[in-house]
Amino acid sequence: MNWRKLNRWIHRELGFLFFGMTIIYGISGIALNHHAARHWDPGLITRSTTLQYPGTLSKSDVNRSSIEKILEITGEKENYKQYYFPSQDHIIIYLKGGHITVNMQTGSMQLTKVRNRPVFNELNYLHYNKPKKLWTWFSDLYAFGLILIAISGLFLIKGKKGIGGRGGILTIVGILIPLVFLIIYLWL
Amino acid sequence: MQKSILWVFIALLAVSCNQTTKKEGLTTEADKTEKIVTATINELLASPADYQDKEVAISGMVSHVCRHGGQKCFLVAEDGETQIRIVPGGEIDEFKVEMEGSTIAFKGIFRVLNAEQTEEHVEDHESKEHHDVEQSHSTAEKAEYFVEAIEFKDITP
Repeated sequence: MNWRKLNRWIHRELGFLFFGMTIIYGISGIALNHHAARHWDPGLITRSTTLQYPGTLSKSDVNRSSIEKILEITGEKENYKQYYFPSQDHIIIYLKGGHITVNMQTGSMQLTKVRNRPVFNELNYLHYNKPKKLWTWFSDLYAFGLILIAISGLFLIKGKKGIGGRGGILTIVGILIPLVFLIIYLWL
Repeated sequence: MQKSILWVFIALLAVSCNQTTKKEGLTTEADKTEKIVTATINELLASPADYQDKEVAISGMVSHVCRHGGQKCFLVAEDGETQIRIVPGGEIDEFKVEMEGSTIAFKGIFRVLNAEQTEEHVEDHESKEHHDVEQSHSTAEKAEYFVEAIEFKDITP
């Protein structure tokens, strides 16, 4: 078999085989990038609602009935777990799937509900290699496949648009960009 | 071609199954030899040197789980104020946010950082601008002591 034909075969077959994996790692990669930059949490959806307790409270007022009243107002009676005082003026009531923070001085209550973000939660599970075991091997195989796809991609086209022409310039630019970031942010 | 792919998957499956068996064997062996010191959080913090690098068993309510990868959580002591930082170790990858408000029994190694390590830890924490306002667990977050959890169990009444 001609080496160019073999190269095209490798590029095409691995491209098909690892299409799903590339989408998984691509989407979760964007999510994790922004997670690292602390823009948002790709794994969790957090929703907050502000409500008002009728009146104010002091630490000594807090008992079963005041907690039940708060749960009733917030509609979270079924989800109650435990409560504690993070400070002199606040109570946190923990719920299944969230918590209520009560400012005892003002009676202001913030109900925070937390749930897993669909799709991203699953993609991140795979990206972080949480399944381990066989997934480690398959994702290693994918990583190796990706290297082969990249290398074989360099030699797909001959001529001006290939590695000897415009393709080569783009390849160099693509290598230089991360290098510039390393020079500016890490090495200097 | 099809045969080759099938063989690759069979080989991967075999390696994976073998790893699981080995891991189970190690856990059983470790269970036989360990010596655990049961202590309260306040006891640990009152005389950290006595417990340093020892395997301890503590329990309490989880007040907060770090949202950035679940790489730490905070346990409230019996006095309702003191907190201790717990980090995942052993087979634990992360702590789930669902643990907040649950009473959890942890088994792990009590670690105490030296002055230099503590300074590094605080600097690292502050550089990440973790919370905008002071939290009830802020002291424990910057403290030199923590527990590296090996196992945990939800014991919420």
